[in-house]
Amino acid sequence: MPMVLLSCDKDIPEREKHIYLKVDGEDSRDFLPVSNAQTIPGTLSERGCAFCGAKLVIGGVLKDTIQMIHGPMGCAYDTWHTKRYPTDNGHFNMKYVWSTDMKESHIVFGGEKRLEKSINEAFDEMPDIKRMIVYTTCPTALIGDDIKPVCKKVMSERPDVDIFTVECPGFAGVSQSKGHHVLNIGWINEKVGTLEKNITSDYTMNFIGDFNIQGDTQLLQQYWDRLGIQVISHFTGNGTYDDLRCMQQAQLNVVNCARSSGYIANELKKQYGIPRLDIDSWGFSYMAEGIRKICAFFGIEDRGEALIADETAKWKPKLDWYKERLKGARMAIWTGGPRLWHWTKSVEDDLGIQVVAMSSKFGHQEDFEKVIARGQAGTYYIDDGNELEFFEIIDLVKPDVIFTGPRVGELVKKLHIPYVNGHGYHNGPYMGFEGFVNLARDTYNAVHNPLLKLAATDIRGGQRKVFLEAAE
Amino acid sequence: MSQQQIDQLFGYVQERCLWQFHSRSWDRQENIDGIISTATDLLHGQQPKKHAPMDRMFYADAKAMVDDLKVRFPWILDLEPTRVTELMAGLKSKLVDQTITQSLNRELHDKLY
Ligand code: SF4
Repeated sequence: MPMVLLSCDKDIPEREKHIYLKVDGEDSRDFLPVSNAQTIPGTLSERGCAFCGAKLVIGGVLKDTIQMIHGPMGCAYDTWHTKRYPTDNGHFNMKYVWSTDMKESHIVFGGEKRLEKSINEAFDEMPDIKRMIVYTTCPTALIGDDIKPVCKKVMSERPDVDIFTVECPGFAGVSQSKGHHVLNIGWINEKVGTLEKNITSDYTMNFIGDFNIQGDTQLLQQYWDRLGIQVISHFTGNGTYDDLRCMQQAQLNVVNCARSSGYIANELKKQYGIPRLDIDSWGFSYMAEGIRKICAFFGIEDRGEALIADETAKWKPKLDWYKERLKGARMAIWTGGPRLWHWTKSVEDDLGIQVVAMSSKFGHQEDFEKVIARGQAGTYYIDDGNELEFFEIIDLVKPDVIFTGPRVGELVKKLHIPYVNGHGYHNGPYMGFEGFVNLARDTYNAVHNPLLKLAATDIRGGQRKVFLEAAE
Repeated sequence: MSQQQIDQLFGYVQERCLWQFHSRSWDRQENIDGIISTATDLLHGQQPKKHAPMDRMFYADAKAMVDDLKVRFPWILDLEPTRVTELMAGLKSKLVDQTITQSLNRELHDKLY
Protein backbone atom coordinates (compact mmCIF):
# COMPACT_ATOMS: atom_id res chain seq x y z
CA MET A 1 0.00 0.00 0.00
CA PRO A 2 1.56 3.30 -0.98
CA MET A 3 0.96 6.62 0.65
CA VAL A 4 -2.61 7.50 1.56
CA LEU A 5 -4.71 10.46 0.44
CA LEU A 6 -7.47 10.83 3.01
CA SER A 7 -10.79 12.10 1.75
CA CYS A 8 -10.57 15.22 3.95
CA ASP A 9 -7.36 16.07 2.08
CA LYS A 10 -8.87 15.99 -1.40
CA ASP A 11 -8.20 19.71 -1.83
CA ILE A 12 -4.62 19.49 -0.53
CA PRO A 13 -3.37 16.39 -2.34
CA GLU A 14 0.22 17.18 -1.30
CA ARG A 15 -0.71 15.66 2.08
CA GLU A 16 -0.57 12.21 0.49
CA LYS A 17 3.22 12.30 0.77
CA HIS A 18 2.92 12.61 4.56
CA ILE A 19 0.62 9.69 5.43
CA TYR A 20 1.65 6.06 5.16
CA LEU A 21 -0.27 2.85 5.86
CA LYS A 22 2.13 -0.02 6.44
CA VAL A 23 1.35 -3.42 4.96
CA ASP A 24 3.20 -6.70 5.38
CA GLY A 25 6.25 -7.06 3.21
CA GLU A 26 6.91 -3.33 2.89
CA ASP A 27 9.49 -1.23 4.65
CA SER A 28 10.93 2.28 4.72
CA ARG A 29 12.94 1.65 1.51
CA ASP A 30 9.62 1.53 -0.32
CA PHE A 31 7.83 4.43 1.30
CA LEU A 32 8.93 7.05 3.80
CA PRO A 33 6.67 9.98 4.69
CA VAL A 34 8.00 13.42 3.84
CA SER A 35 8.72 15.17 7.14
CA ASN A 36 10.47 18.18 8.66
CA ALA A 37 9.04 19.97 5.65
CA GLN A 38 7.08 23.19 5.43
CA THR A 39 3.47 22.88 6.50
CA ILE A 40 1.20 22.80 3.45
CA PRO A 41 -1.07 25.84 3.08
CA GLY A 42 -4.60 24.74 3.82
CA THR A 43 -3.69 22.27 6.52
CA LEU A 44 -4.37 23.23 10.13
CA SER A 45 -1.05 22.17 11.60
CA GLU A 46 -0.61 21.30 15.26
CA ARG A 47 3.02 22.41 15.29
CA GLY A 48 4.71 24.92 17.56
CA CYS A 49 7.19 27.58 16.53
CA ALA A 50 10.97 27.25 16.30
CA PHE A 51 11.54 29.49 19.34
CA CYS A 52 9.24 27.22 21.34
CA GLY A 53 11.44 24.22 20.47
CA ALA A 54 14.43 25.92 22.05
CA LYS A 55 12.74 27.46 25.09
CA LEU A 56 9.84 25.22 26.06
CA VAL A 57 11.52 21.92 25.27
CA ILE A 58 15.16 22.38 26.29
CA GLY A 59 16.26 25.68 27.87
CA GLY A 60 13.26 26.27 30.10
CA VAL A 61 13.82 22.98 31.89
CA LEU A 62 16.98 24.18 33.68
CA LYS A 63 16.56 24.72 37.39
CA ASP A 64 18.93 27.62 37.94
CA THR A 65 18.60 29.76 34.85
CA ILE A 66 16.57 32.85 34.04
CA GLN A 67 14.87 32.45 30.66
CA MET A 68 14.74 35.98 29.24
CA ILE A 69 12.41 36.08 26.27
CA HIS A 70 13.06 39.13 24.15
CA GLY A 71 9.69 39.74 22.58
CA PRO A 72 6.04 40.44 23.31
CA MET A 73 4.46 38.92 26.39
CA GLY A 74 2.65 36.20 24.41
CA CYS A 75 5.85 34.47 23.32
CA ALA A 76 6.82 34.14 26.98
CA TYR A 77 3.46 33.13 28.34
CA ASP A 78 2.84 30.54 25.62
CA THR A 79 6.09 28.76 26.42
CA TRP A 80 5.78 28.84 30.20
CA HIS A 81 4.11 26.39 32.54
CA THR A 82 2.57 24.29 29.79
CA LYS A 83 4.98 21.43 30.39
CA ARG A 84 5.44 19.76 33.72
CA TYR A 85 9.15 19.48 34.36
CA PRO A 86 9.66 19.90 38.09
CA THR A 87 13.05 20.40 39.75
CA ASP A 88 14.50 19.38 43.08
CA ASN A 89 15.01 23.03 44.10
CA GLY A 90 11.36 23.98 44.32
CA HIS A 91 10.51 24.27 40.64
CA PHE A 92 12.20 27.62 40.04
CA ASN A 93 11.76 27.19 36.29
CA MET A 94 8.01 26.74 36.54
CA LYS A 95 7.33 29.47 39.06
CA TYR A 96 8.65 32.40 37.08
CA VAL A 97 8.40 33.77 33.57
CA TRP A 98 10.56 36.55 32.17
CA SER A 99 9.89 38.76 29.18
CA THR A 100 11.11 42.08 27.81
CA ASP A 101 7.42 42.75 27.06
CA MET A 102 8.07 44.52 23.76
CA LYS A 103 5.44 47.06 22.79
CA GLU A 104 4.91 49.09 19.62
CA SER A 105 7.31 51.92 20.53
CA HIS A 106 10.13 49.42 21.22
CA ILE A 107 9.49 47.77 17.90
CA VAL A 108 9.66 51.16 16.18
CA PHE A 109 12.73 52.48 18.03
CA GLY A 110 14.57 49.21 18.70
CA GLY A 111 14.59 46.94 21.75
CA GLU A 112 18.25 46.56 22.70
CA LYS A 113 18.14 49.12 25.52
CA ARG A 114 14.99 47.49 26.84
CA LEU A 115 16.68 44.10 26.75
CA GLU A 116 19.69 45.39 28.68
CA LYS A 117 17.40 46.94 31.29
CA SER A 118 15.36 43.74 31.59
CA ILE A 119 18.45 41.56 32.03
CA ASN A 120 19.77 43.78 34.79
CA GLU A 121 16.35 44.01 36.45
CA ALA A 122 16.01 40.23 36.45
CA PHE A 123 19.44 39.67 37.99
CA ASP A 124 18.77 42.42 40.57
CA GLU A 125 15.41 40.90 41.51
CA MET A 126 16.92 37.41 41.84
CA PRO A 127 20.35 37.96 43.34
CA ASP A 128 20.94 34.23 43.90
CA ILE A 129 20.57 33.44 40.22
CA LYS A 130 23.65 34.04 38.08
CA ARG A 131 22.79 32.28 34.83
CA MET A 132 20.52 33.31 31.98
CA ILE A 133 19.46 32.30 28.49
CA VAL A 134 18.26 35.13 26.22
CA TYR A 135 16.02 34.23 23.29
CA THR A 136 15.05 36.33 20.29
CA THR A 137 11.50 35.99 18.97
CA CYS A 138 9.92 36.92 15.62
CA PRO A 139 9.43 40.64 16.29
CA THR A 140 12.86 41.29 17.81
CA ALA A 141 14.61 39.29 15.11
CA LEU A 142 12.71 41.15 12.39
CA ILE A 143 13.74 44.57 13.69
CA GLY A 144 17.33 43.35 13.83
CA ASP A 145 18.01 43.62 17.57
CA ASP A 146 21.56 42.36 18.09
CA ILE A 147 21.32 40.52 21.38
CA LYS A 148 24.86 39.14 21.67
CA PRO A 149 26.63 42.52 22.21
CA VAL A 150 23.97 43.45 24.78
CA CYS A 151 24.65 40.24 26.72
CA LYS A 152 28.42 40.73 26.44
CA LYS A 153 28.07 44.23 27.88
CA VAL A 154 26.05 42.95 30.85
CA MET A 155 28.57 40.14 31.44
CA SER A 156 31.45 42.64 31.43
CA GLU A 157 29.64 44.76 34.01
CA ARG A 158 28.58 41.76 36.11
CA PRO A 159 31.51 39.37 36.14
CA ASP A 160 29.68 36.76 38.22
CA VAL A 161 26.95 36.15 35.64
CA ASP A 162 26.99 34.04 32.50
CA ILE A 163 24.52 34.43 29.63
CA PHE A 164 23.81 32.21 26.64
CA THR A 165 21.94 33.50 23.62
CA VAL A 166 19.55 31.58 21.38
CA GLU A 167 18.77 33.35 18.13
CA CYS A 168 15.95 31.23 16.81
CA PRO A 169 12.80 33.26 16.18
CA GLY A 170 9.54 31.43 15.57
CA PHE A 171 9.83 31.72 11.81
CA ALA A 172 13.38 30.29 11.64
CA GLY A 173 12.22 26.77 10.78
CA VAL A 174 9.23 24.62 9.90
CA SER A 175 8.52 23.49 13.46
CA GLN A 176 9.88 23.22 17.00
CA SER A 177 12.61 21.02 15.59
CA LYS A 178 14.65 24.00 14.39
CA GLY A 179 14.77 25.39 17.91
CA HIS A 180 16.19 22.12 19.24
CA HIS A 181 18.87 22.27 16.59
CA VAL A 182 19.87 25.90 17.16
CA LEU A 183 20.13 25.47 20.94
CA ASN A 184 22.13 22.20 20.63
CA ILE A 185 24.66 23.57 18.18
CA GLY A 186 24.94 26.95 19.92
CA TRP A 187 25.58 25.31 23.28
CA ILE A 188 28.31 22.94 22.05
CA ASN A 189 30.06 25.75 20.19
CA GLU A 190 29.86 28.40 22.88
CA LYS A 191 29.52 26.78 26.29
CA VAL A 192 30.75 23.18 26.40
CA GLY A 193 34.35 23.10 27.62
CA THR A 194 34.17 26.40 29.50
CA LEU A 195 34.07 24.78 32.94
CA GLU A 196 35.27 21.64 34.73
CA LYS A 197 33.64 19.92 37.67
CA ASN A 198 34.85 17.59 40.35
CA ILE A 199 34.90 13.97 39.22
CA THR A 200 33.68 11.65 41.96
CA SER A 201 33.38 8.30 40.17
CA ASP A 202 35.35 6.12 37.77
CA TYR A 203 32.19 5.99 35.67
CA THR A 204 30.87 9.22 34.17
CA MET A 205 28.20 9.96 31.61
CA ASN A 206 25.93 12.67 30.26
CA PHE A 207 22.25 11.78 30.15
CA ILE A 208 20.93 13.52 27.06
CA GLY A 209 17.37 14.11 25.87
CA ASP A 210 15.29 13.63 28.99
CA PHE A 211 13.47 16.62 30.44
CA ASN A 212 12.32 15.40 33.85
CA ILE A 213 8.69 15.27 32.79
CA GLN A 214 6.89 14.74 36.11
CA GLY A 215 10.11 13.46 37.62
CA ASP A 216 11.53 11.14 34.91
CA THR A 217 15.09 12.36 35.49
CA GLN A 218 14.81 12.08 39.25
CA LEU A 219 13.48 8.54 38.98
CA LEU A 220 16.31 7.44 36.66
CA GLN A 221 18.86 9.23 38.84
CA GLN A 222 18.12 6.67 41.57
CA TYR A 223 19.34 3.99 39.17
CA TRP A 224 22.57 5.84 38.30
CA ASP A 225 23.24 6.45 41.99
CA ARG A 226 22.78 2.77 42.78
CA LEU A 227 25.10 1.85 39.92
CA GLY A 228 27.74 4.33 41.11
CA ILE A 229 27.70 6.31 37.86
CA GLN A 230 28.29 10.06 38.07
CA VAL A 231 26.03 11.98 35.73
CA ILE A 232 28.14 14.95 34.63
CA SER A 233 25.16 16.71 33.09
CA HIS A 234 21.51 16.15 32.40
CA PHE A 235 20.55 17.63 29.06
CA THR A 236 18.36 19.12 30.47
CA GLY A 237 15.98 17.49 33.01
CA ASN A 238 16.50 18.86 36.53
CA GLY A 239 19.79 20.15 35.09
CA THR A 240 21.98 23.14 35.77
CA TYR A 241 23.58 25.58 33.38
CA ASP A 242 27.09 25.00 34.74
CA ASP A 243 26.86 21.19 34.59
CA LEU A 244 26.10 21.53 30.90
CA ARG A 245 29.32 23.53 30.44
CA CYS A 246 31.21 20.42 31.66
CA MET A 247 29.75 17.91 29.18
CA GLN A 248 33.21 17.29 27.69
CA GLN A 249 34.25 15.50 30.89
CA ALA A 250 31.92 12.50 30.44
CA GLN A 251 33.11 9.11 29.17
CA LEU A 252 29.78 8.27 27.58
CA ASN A 253 26.75 10.08 26.17
CA VAL A 254 23.53 8.21 26.79
CA VAL A 255 20.79 9.53 24.53
CA ASN A 256 17.08 9.09 25.12
CA CYS A 257 15.46 11.74 22.90
CA ALA A 258 17.51 11.57 19.73
CA ARG A 259 15.33 14.12 17.97
CA SER A 260 15.66 17.08 20.33
CA SER A 261 19.18 16.31 21.50
CA GLY A 262 20.92 13.99 19.05
CA TYR A 263 22.82 16.95 17.59
CA ILE A 264 24.79 17.67 20.74
CA ALA A 265 25.59 13.97 21.21
CA ASN A 266 26.85 13.81 17.62
CA GLU A 267 29.01 16.89 18.14
CA LEU A 268 30.38 15.56 21.44
CA LYS A 269 31.44 12.44 19.55
CA LYS A 270 32.94 14.45 16.70
CA GLN A 271 34.67 17.12 18.78
CA TYR A 272 35.58 15.20 21.95
CA GLY A 273 35.48 11.52 20.91
CA ILE A 274 32.77 10.65 23.46
CA PRO A 275 30.66 7.71 22.17
CA ARG A 276 26.90 8.09 21.72
CA LEU A 277 24.75 5.27 23.07
CA ASP A 278 21.04 5.51 22.26
CA ILE A 279 18.59 3.82 24.59
CA ASP A 280 14.83 3.72 25.23
CA SER A 281 13.93 4.68 28.79
CA TRP A 282 10.22 3.85 28.55
CA GLY A 283 9.20 0.20 29.02
CA PHE A 284 10.47 -2.70 31.13
CA SER A 285 12.33 -4.60 28.49
CA TYR A 286 13.85 -1.45 26.97
CA MET A 287 14.89 -0.01 30.35
CA ALA A 288 16.56 -3.27 31.33
CA GLU A 289 18.36 -3.35 28.00
CA GLY A 290 19.49 0.28 28.41
CA ILE A 291 20.88 -0.42 31.89
CA ARG A 292 22.65 -3.54 30.60
CA LYS A 293 24.29 -1.57 27.79
CA ILE A 294 25.46 1.25 30.05
CA CYS A 295 26.86 -1.26 32.56
CA ALA A 296 28.56 -3.26 29.79
CA PHE A 297 30.25 -0.07 28.62
CA PHE A 298 31.65 0.54 32.10
CA GLY A 299 32.33 -3.13 32.88
CA ILE A 300 29.94 -3.18 35.85
CA GLU A 301 27.48 -5.77 34.51
CA ASP A 302 26.88 -7.35 37.94
CA ARG A 303 25.61 -4.10 39.42
CA GLY A 304 23.24 -3.71 36.47
CA GLU A 305 21.82 -7.23 36.84
CA ALA A 306 21.24 -6.70 40.57
CA LEU A 307 19.38 -3.44 39.90
CA ILE A 308 17.24 -4.99 37.17
CA ALA A 309 16.40 -7.98 39.39
CA ASP A 310 15.35 -5.69 42.26
CA GLU A 311 13.23 -3.42 40.12
CA THR A 312 11.63 -6.29 38.22
CA ALA A 313 10.70 -8.06 41.45
CA LYS A 314 9.16 -4.86 42.74
CA TRP A 315 7.23 -3.68 39.69
CA LYS A 316 6.66 -6.57 37.27
CA PRO A 317 3.66 -8.06 39.13
CA LYS A 318 1.96 -4.67 38.97
CA LEU A 319 2.75 -4.28 35.29
CA ASP A 320 1.35 -7.76 34.63
CA TRP A 321 -1.87 -6.91 36.47
CA TYR A 322 -2.42 -4.06 34.02
CA LYS A 323 -1.25 -6.11 31.04
CA GLU A 324 -3.90 -8.69 31.78
CA ARG A 325 -6.54 -5.95 31.58
CA LEU A 326 -5.12 -3.97 28.67
CA LYS A 327 -4.45 -6.79 26.25
CA GLY A 328 -5.80 -5.96 22.83
CA ALA A 329 -6.55 -2.29 23.61
CA ARG A 330 -6.06 -0.05 20.57
CA MET A 331 -3.89 3.00 21.06
CA ALA A 332 -3.09 6.02 18.92
CA ILE A 333 0.03 8.09 19.63
CA TRP A 334 -0.04 11.68 18.39
CA THR A 335 2.95 13.42 19.90
CA GLY A 336 6.13 15.19 18.80
CA GLY A 337 8.11 12.46 17.10
CA PRO A 338 10.36 10.16 19.17
CA ARG A 339 7.66 8.88 21.50
CA LEU A 340 6.16 7.11 18.49
CA TRP A 341 9.17 4.81 18.14
CA HIS A 342 9.96 4.72 21.86
CA TRP A 343 6.46 3.56 22.75
CA THR A 344 4.99 1.49 19.92
CA LYS A 345 6.90 -1.69 20.70
CA SER A 346 7.12 -1.19 24.45
CA VAL A 347 3.35 -0.93 24.92
CA GLU A 348 2.92 -3.87 22.58
CA ASP A 349 5.48 -6.13 24.30
CA ASP A 350 5.03 -5.03 27.90
CA LEU A 351 1.27 -4.35 27.90
CA GLY A 352 -0.22 -6.24 24.96
CA ILE A 353 -1.53 -3.00 23.45
CA GLN A 354 -1.91 -2.55 19.71
CA VAL A 355 -0.81 0.81 18.31
CA VAL A 356 -3.08 1.59 15.37
CA ALA A 357 -2.11 5.14 14.33
CA MET A 358 0.80 7.46 15.02
CA SER A 359 1.29 11.08 14.12
CA SER A 360 4.39 13.21 14.60
CA LYS A 361 4.50 17.00 14.74
CA PHE A 362 8.19 17.58 14.19
CA GLY A 363 9.84 14.21 13.60
CA HIS A 364 12.33 13.88 10.75
CA GLN A 365 12.60 10.99 8.30
CA GLU A 366 15.02 9.30 10.69
CA ASP A 367 12.15 9.09 13.17
CA PHE A 368 9.88 7.56 10.54
CA GLU A 369 12.55 5.00 9.63
CA LYS A 370 12.64 3.98 13.28
CA VAL A 371 8.91 3.86 13.81
CA ILE A 372 8.09 2.04 10.56
CA ALA A 373 10.73 -0.57 11.48
CA ARG A 374 9.20 -1.03 14.92
CA GLY A 375 5.51 -0.48 14.27
CA GLN A 376 2.89 -2.91 13.01
CA ALA A 377 1.41 -3.44 9.58
CA GLY A 378 -2.10 -1.97 9.32
CA THR A 379 -0.99 1.08 11.29
CA TYR A 380 -1.05 4.66 9.96
CA TYR A 381 2.13 6.75 10.17
CA ILE A 382 1.42 10.46 9.78
CA ASP A 383 3.63 13.52 9.57
CA ASP A 384 2.28 16.88 10.79
CA GLY A 385 -1.29 15.58 11.09
CA ASN A 386 -4.15 18.05 11.12
CA GLU A 387 -7.45 18.06 12.92
CA LEU A 388 -9.63 16.79 10.07
CA GLU A 389 -7.18 13.99 9.40
CA PHE A 390 -7.40 13.00 13.05
CA PHE A 391 -11.20 12.71 12.77
CA GLU A 392 -10.91 10.55 9.68
CA ILE A 393 -8.17 8.35 11.11
CA ILE A 394 -10.22 7.82 14.28
CA ASP A 395 -13.07 6.53 12.12
CA LEU A 396 -10.69 4.22 10.29
CA VAL A 397 -8.83 2.70 13.23
CA LYS A 398 -11.25 3.17 16.18
CA PRO A 399 -8.73 3.68 19.00
CA ASP A 400 -9.64 2.96 22.64
CA VAL A 401 -7.19 5.58 23.92
CA ILE A 402 -5.14 8.38 22.41
CA PHE A 403 -1.81 9.57 23.78
CA THR A 404 -1.51 13.21 22.76
CA GLY A 405 -1.31 16.78 24.09
CA PRO A 406 -4.07 18.67 25.89
CA ARG A 407 -5.22 20.56 22.79
CA VAL A 408 -5.89 17.48 20.68
CA GLY A 409 -6.92 15.75 23.88
CA GLU A 410 -9.83 18.16 24.31
CA LEU A 411 -10.82 17.49 20.73
CA VAL A 412 -10.97 13.72 21.13
CA LYS A 413 -12.74 14.00 24.48
CA LYS A 414 -15.65 15.49 22.57
CA LEU A 415 -15.79 12.26 20.61
CA HIS A 416 -15.87 10.44 23.97
CA ILE A 417 -12.52 8.82 23.37
CA PRO A 418 -10.21 8.98 26.39
CA TYR A 419 -6.87 10.66 26.04
CA VAL A 420 -3.72 10.47 28.12
CA ASN A 421 -1.32 13.40 28.06
CA GLY A 422 1.50 12.07 25.94
CA HIS A 423 3.66 15.16 26.43
CA GLY A 424 3.36 16.16 30.10
CA TYR A 425 1.80 12.84 31.27
CA HIS A 426 -1.30 12.38 33.42
CA ASN A 427 0.32 10.99 36.56
CA GLY A 428 3.96 10.36 35.79
CA PRO A 429 6.86 9.82 35.76
CA TYR A 430 6.55 7.27 32.95
CA MET A 431 10.22 6.37 32.47
CA GLY A 432 11.94 3.43 34.11
CA PHE A 433 10.27 0.38 35.67
CA GLU A 434 8.06 2.21 38.15
CA GLY A 435 7.28 4.82 35.52
CA PHE A 436 5.96 2.29 33.04
CA VAL A 437 3.57 0.97 35.68
CA ASN A 438 2.35 4.56 36.03
CA LEU A 439 1.80 4.72 32.27
CA ALA A 440 -0.04 1.39 32.42
CA ARG A 441 -2.23 2.63 35.27
CA ASP A 442 -3.15 5.85 33.43
CA THR A 443 -3.89 3.87 30.28
CA TYR A 444 -6.04 1.39 32.19
CA ASN A 445 -7.91 4.18 33.97
CA ALA A 446 -8.52 5.91 30.65
CA VAL A 447 -9.64 2.84 28.72
CA HIS A 448 -11.93 1.54 31.46
CA ASN A 449 -13.26 4.86 32.68
CA PRO A 450 -17.07 4.72 32.43
CA LEU A 451 -17.48 8.49 32.53
CA LEU A 452 -16.86 9.12 28.86
CA LYS A 453 -19.51 6.62 27.84
CA LEU A 454 -21.92 8.15 30.35
CA ALA A 455 -21.14 11.58 28.94
CA ALA A 456 -22.21 10.34 25.53
CA THR A 457 -25.63 9.39 26.84
CA ASP A 458 -28.34 11.94 26.13
CA ILE A 459 -31.75 11.21 27.58
CA ARG A 460 -33.37 13.88 25.41
CA GLY A 461 -33.20 11.51 22.42
CA GLY A 462 -34.70 12.94 19.24
CA GLN A 463 -35.81 16.18 20.88
CA ARG A 464 -32.26 17.49 20.91
CA LYS A 465 -31.35 19.98 18.18
CA VAL A 466 -28.13 18.76 16.62
CA PHE A 467 -25.69 21.31 15.22
CA LEU A 468 -23.28 20.23 12.56
CA GLU A 469 -19.69 19.75 13.64
CA ALA A 470 -17.00 21.50 11.62
CA ALA A 471 -15.63 18.15 10.52
CA GLU A 472 -18.90 16.92 9.02
CA MET B 1 23.04 -20.71 7.09
CA SER B 2 20.12 -19.63 4.95
CA GLN B 3 18.55 -16.42 3.71
CA GLN B 4 15.72 -17.11 6.11
CA GLN B 5 18.13 -17.09 9.05
CA ILE B 6 19.61 -13.76 7.91
CA ASP B 7 16.07 -12.40 7.60
CA GLN B 8 15.23 -13.46 11.16
CA LEU B 9 18.26 -11.62 12.55
CA PHE B 10 17.57 -8.62 10.35
CA GLY B 11 13.97 -8.47 11.58
CA TYR B 12 15.23 -8.49 15.17
CA VAL B 13 17.77 -5.69 14.55
CA GLN B 14 15.23 -3.55 12.70
CA GLU B 15 12.75 -3.79 15.53
CA ARG B 16 15.16 -3.47 18.40
CA CYS B 17 18.37 -1.57 17.62
CA LEU B 18 18.58 2.20 17.49
CA TRP B 19 22.26 2.22 16.46
CA GLN B 20 21.38 1.38 12.86
CA PHE B 21 19.40 4.63 12.62
CA HIS B 22 21.91 7.25 13.77
CA SER B 23 21.77 10.61 12.06
CA ARG B 24 24.12 10.43 9.10
CA SER B 25 25.33 7.75 6.69
CA TRP B 26 28.84 7.70 8.22
CA ASP B 27 27.46 7.25 11.74
CA ARG B 28 25.32 4.35 10.57
CA GLN B 29 28.22 2.74 8.70
CA GLU B 30 30.52 3.13 11.71
CA ASN B 31 27.97 1.54 14.05
CA ILE B 32 27.08 -1.30 11.70
CA ASP B 33 30.77 -2.11 11.07
CA GLY B 34 31.76 -1.92 14.73
CA ILE B 35 28.79 -3.69 16.27
CA ILE B 36 28.49 -6.51 13.73
CA SER B 37 32.22 -7.19 13.94
CA THR B 38 32.11 -7.24 17.77
CA ALA B 39 28.99 -9.41 17.75
CA THR B 40 30.72 -11.86 15.39
CA ASP B 41 33.66 -12.08 17.82
CA LEU B 42 31.28 -12.73 20.69
CA LEU B 43 29.45 -15.46 18.78
CA HIS B 44 32.82 -17.07 18.08
CA GLY B 45 33.51 -17.02 21.80
CA GLN B 46 36.36 -14.54 21.37
CA GLN B 47 37.06 -11.63 23.69
CA PRO B 48 36.41 -8.43 21.73
CA LYS B 49 38.56 -5.28 21.94
CA LYS B 50 37.55 -3.04 24.82
CA HIS B 51 40.30 -0.42 25.02
CA ALA B 52 39.06 2.62 23.11
CA PRO B 53 35.77 4.29 24.15
CA MET B 54 34.17 3.46 20.78
CA ASP B 55 35.18 -0.22 21.17
CA ARG B 56 33.43 -0.32 24.53
CA MET B 57 30.35 1.28 23.00
CA PHE B 58 30.31 -1.34 20.21
CA TYR B 59 30.74 -4.03 22.86
CA ALA B 60 27.80 -2.70 24.90
CA ASP B 61 25.44 -2.77 21.90
CA ALA B 62 26.82 -6.05 20.52
CA LYS B 63 26.61 -7.87 23.85
CA ALA B 64 22.95 -6.93 24.37
CA MET B 65 22.17 -8.08 20.84
CA VAL B 66 24.06 -11.38 21.03
CA ASP B 67 22.54 -12.31 24.41
CA ASP B 68 19.10 -11.70 22.93
CA LEU B 69 19.81 -13.54 19.68
CA LYS B 70 20.90 -16.65 21.58
CA VAL B 71 17.57 -16.71 23.42
CA ARG B 72 15.34 -15.87 20.49
CA PHE B 73 17.15 -17.93 17.85
CA PRO B 74 18.78 -20.86 19.70
CA TRP B 75 19.78 -22.46 16.36
CA ILE B 76 22.58 -19.87 16.27
CA LEU B 77 24.42 -21.83 18.98
CA ASP B 78 24.65 -24.89 16.72
CA LEU B 79 26.17 -23.12 13.72
CA GLU B 80 29.71 -23.88 12.55
CA PRO B 81 32.07 -20.91 13.04
CA THR B 82 32.33 -20.30 9.29
CA ARG B 83 28.55 -20.25 9.06
CA VAL B 84 28.39 -17.69 11.87
CA THR B 85 30.79 -15.47 9.92
CA GLU B 86 28.67 -15.81 6.78
CA LEU B 87 25.49 -15.18 8.69
CA MET B 88 26.79 -11.96 10.24
CA ALA B 89 28.23 -10.81 6.90
CA GLY B 90 24.80 -11.37 5.35
CA LEU B 91 23.16 -9.43 8.16
CA LYS B 92 25.62 -6.57 7.76
CA SER B 93 25.09 -6.25 4.05
CA LYS B 94 21.31 -6.25 4.52
CA LEU B 95 21.57 -3.54 7.16
CA VAL B 96 23.78 -1.36 4.98
CA ASP B 97 21.35 -1.80 2.10
CA GLN B 98 18.32 -0.95 4.23
CA THR B 99 19.61 1.93 6.32
CA ILE B 100 22.16 3.54 3.99
CA THR B 101 22.18 2.49 0.33
CA GLN B 102 18.44 2.37 -0.24
CA SER B 103 17.34 4.64 2.56
CA LEU B 104 14.93 7.35 1.41
CA ASN B 105 16.02 9.61 4.30
CA ARG B 106 16.99 12.87 2.64
CA GLU B 107 19.09 14.06 5.58
CA LEU B 108 21.42 11.08 5.58
CA HIS B 109 24.18 12.68 3.53
CA ASP B 110 24.07 16.22 4.96
CA LYS B 111 27.62 17.26 5.76
CA LEU B 112 26.72 18.87 9.09
CA TYR B 113 24.69 17.70 12.05
S1 SF4 C 1 5.75 35.64 17.71
FE1 SF4 C 1 7.15 34.14 16.79
S2 SF4 C 1 8.48 33.51 18.49
FE2 SF4 C 1 6.67 34.49 19.42
S3 SF4 C 1 5.28 32.77 19.83
FE3 SF4 C 1 4.73 33.64 17.80
S4 SF4 C 1 5.85 32.38 16.30
FE4 SF4 C 1 6.80 32.02 18.33
